[in-house]
Amino acid sequence: MSDRQKNIRNFCIVAHIDHGKSTLADRLLEATGTVATRDLQEQLLDSMDLERERGITIKLTPTRMKYNFEGQEYILNLIDTPGHVDFTYEVSRSLAACEGAILIVDAGQGVEAQTLANVHLALDNNLEILPVINKIDLPSAEPEKVKGEIEDVIGIPAMHSPCISAKEGTNIPAVLEGIIKEFPAPHGDENAPLKCLVFDSYYDNFKGAICLVRVFDGSVKKGDTIKFMQTNNTFEVTEVGYFVPKPKECEALLAGEVGYIAASIKKVSEARVGDTITNADNPAPKPLDGYKQVQPVVFSGIFPVDGSKYGELKDALEKLKLNDSSLEYQPETSVALGFGFRCGFLGLLHMEIIQERLEREFNLDIITTAPGVSYHVYKTNGEMIEVSNPSNLPDPSIIDRMEEPYVNMHIFTPPEYMGSIMELCTERRGENNDVVYLDEKRVRLDYEIPLNEIIYDFFDSLKSRTRGYASLDYELSDYKASKLVKLDILLKGEICDALSLIVHQDKAYERGRIMTEKLKEVIPRQMFEVPIQAAIGGKIIARETVKAFRKDVLAKCYGGDVTRKRKLLEKQKEGKKKMRNIGSVEVPSDAFISILKID
Amino acid sequence: MLSPKFALYIHIPFCISKCSYCDFCSFVPSKKQIEDYICALKEEIKVAGERAGGRLVTSVYIGGGTPSVLPDGAIAEIMECAREHFIILNACCTTIEANPNSFTREKAYEYMLAGCSRLSLGMQSHSPKILKILNRVHDFKDCKNAIENALHYNIKDINIDVMLGVPEQTMRDVKETLKKVVELPVTHISAYGLICEPNTPLTRAIEKRELALPTDELAVDMYDYAVEFLDKHGFKRYEISNFAKAGFQSEHNLNYWNRGAYLGLGLGAHSFLDGIHWQNTENFKEYIKNPSECQKDIEHETIKTAKEETIMLALRTTMGLNIEEYNRLFNADFLNEYKSVISLLLENGLVEIKDNYLRVRNPYISNAIISEFF
Repeated sequence: MSDRQKNIRNFCIVAHIDHGKSTLADRLLEATGTVATRDLQEQLLDSMDLERERGITIKLTPTRMKYNFEGQEYILNLIDTPGHVDFTYEVSRSLAACEGAILIVDAGQGVEAQTLANVHLALDNNLEILPVINKIDLPSAEPEKVKGEIEDVIGIPAMHSPCISAKEGTNIPAVLEGIIKEFPAPHGDENAPLKCLVFDSYYDNFKGAICLVRVFDGSVKKGDTIKFMQTNNTFEVTEVGYFVPKPKECEALLAGEVGYIAASIKKVSEARVGDTITNADNPAPKPLDGYKQVQPVVFSGIFPVDGSKYGELKDALEKLKLNDSSLEYQPETSVALGFGFRCGFLGLLHMEIIQERLEREFNLDIITTAPGVSYHVYKTNGEMIEVSNPSNLPDPSIIDRMEEPYVNMHIFTPPEYMGSIMELCTERRGENNDVVYLDEKRVRLDYEIPLNEIIYDFFDSLKSRTRGYASLDYELSDYKASKLVKLDILLKGEICDALSLIVHQDKAYERGRIMTEKLKEVIPRQMFEVPIQAAIGGKIIARETVKAFRKDVLAKCYGGDVTRKRKLLEKQKEGKKKMRNIGSVEVPSDAFISILKID
Repeated sequence: MLSPKFALYIHIPFCISKCSYCDFCSFVPSKKQIEDYICALKEEIKVAGERAGGRLVTSVYIGGGTPSVLPDGAIAEIMECAREHFIILNACCTTIEANPNSFTREKAYEYMLAGCSRLSLGMQSHSPKILKILNRVHDFKDCKNAIENALHYNIKDINIDVMLGVPEQTMRDVKETLKKVVELPVTHISAYGLICEPNTPLTRAIEKRELALPTDELAVDMYDYAVEFLDKHGFKRYEISNFAKAGFQSEHNLNYWNRGAYLGLGLGAHSFLDGIHWQNTENFKEYIKNPSECQKDIEHETIKTAKEETIMLALRTTMGLNIEEYNRLFNADFLNEYKSVISLLLENGLVEIKDNYLRVRNPYISNAIISEFF
């Protein structure tokens, strides 16, 4: 290890949502003088508005800090991690770029599902863990008890963990000291062939895709020709640097360092997370371990409310894709909704983020169809096809069998909510694999459950049944055989393909009934009666009716009323444009999503 | 496009008291304001007459407000001025609005001499309870007296306004009112639904839940009853809210629904002439200062607005839209232009096409039907 490397610490912070990760990150920036207090926007590292509003981090901004400790200057590289199950792979790559992880645990809440999931990921990556007990300023704080819990549940020593209040800035130097003392310095040979881990990338309008990297071996500088070992693409480096937290160009990045590489890369999909960058002229013999290509697991149709905005939606998705290689989309045509796209997401949060960005950043009104999963459909001729769009399900007569994806789910909860949670999981076709009492106040429930059952409102239901006390995490397990049917919704006798769903046959009747009831609430009265039916195959299983409205005008219209009245009707027509015509029925565009909330 | 002829509207923005539902341009005036107004109105008539340049006036309507609150002789003076500056034939139908309690024998004599051939009385309801809610200051007896006064001077074409869908109104109130109305020697009935305009005392009372509007169902039932009952007594519906005995349809109002030209004079009056919509200022001081140069909201028609208005207005009438006339006017093919809308409406029984006219079959939802064409 060189002297240079001896004073470097690469670390990340893992935490359950709300436990104070971003606030601690801000305090570290402040305490190291990286950012003046007055420049600190609340939660500086979460760079997107959306993230800041939701208090979650989805985008990672690695930041280099300088700190003097016992007469030596240290370089501390903080690599922030997204704290959501949708982004587990990104988290694992960020962890792989570090030697240590600060584990924040809320002094009042204790260990939660995501805490555990992320700690396991950190341990899998051989990271040193520094537990930090946060929010000791809260009246409900029980730091000693939480320390015990960390030791019991996670099995790492915690008795000497710093107890802090990131919010009030209490005891932050103890955290910095812990980082320096507990975490190992990076190893790596500056003179060996270049090996750089891409742990994130983003798109810059001027510089192209920017790779956020950790250099394991060798060095990289402007003018080098680099090669991505998974995709075999080569580029010439136009700039290297690091973040403070704004980008700052430097001469070179050396083994053990964290920073960025710009190389006029056109798309982020050419700079994949987990890929290894090497020098094209002096390549490393093999790439770093752990690369995989992420696959979308949740799918939904996205359509413009105004059909003429298809081109704009296409451009917007293209732009988002530049920055988000995990977003997938392909053109889709719906009888009801016209031209749009079938999109694949890493999970529900990812889906919501994309929807919101389309609406906010691109100012598009969109209709989103029910999120679904990808089914394996085995045809009678032995062929297997993947179906993520209910409209593409083959005729039942040529389907031999179907399989759907399952997940292993872990729920952490106080014991008093166990009954209610088990009821919920059973309703959603979950199978209980294990119940583990962590202590007298906390239980872990392990379920195997179809992904399709948890992708829409499961989390909301769980939160409402447990007054927010339960937390949840899951990982994909396998495809399993399932008796599935296609449920169609008919409006005034016409199938609305955008409302079709693939559901388990035992749930089809109930789902059909709930959907027709919900639609009755959201479809406004029209000029004529609108029957709403749910059907499997040709068989009607539920029906509701929206009665025609009785009156909208009886008033007079003389000379003084003409222009006013015309403008009123023009406005009424404008309002109708926000609706979708399904056959002759006008359906508000938010109906497609609002009817999916079951509880 | 120059309109070859036009209807003339003269606005009198004064009332004895303001009705609770009224957002019209009207107020309770001082004596000086009345004098100033008549003076300004005559000035406007003079200038507008010159601008109209010898075109024929097809009908005259003196509305308000309440024209009958003007002092004796004022209407005669205004009409004399109008005849001097416009071409108004003796046979030209001239309507004047009046409140039942201010239409005296003297007024009837004056209006007859001024050329008024038609009277429109704002009776609204027979029920004292409803009249109180509307803040109307007359009763049914006033109405009978007013009609007697009109008939005495041979003003035989008489309209009665009644209101349906008033807060707290019951089916019984409606039946009672209509029964009384058809017993009167009148030729025309306007039975129109109350509109709750924002910032009127009535709307505020409804918002505060002091008063409750009838449900849509009840309001429609009231209408259905009115249509059937009035029909039985010889009053045929010819527009959403207008009913007339044979030969007594309001020429002046039909002109609006045929999208004919009209010139409005006076405070806040609207005009549509030579393809241009405009409104006079509603600011009294501004009007008095410059009555002939106070136009606002000037809007030139486009093909789109012309088509929209033609359809909107025609579909209010029971006669409907004359498809041939539309095609001729716009050099268009109506049935093809609105093919999908028409087939949707036909399929659902909301309109019918007969003898080359398109008619609305369910006038209660004509807003929705008409806006389909926009």
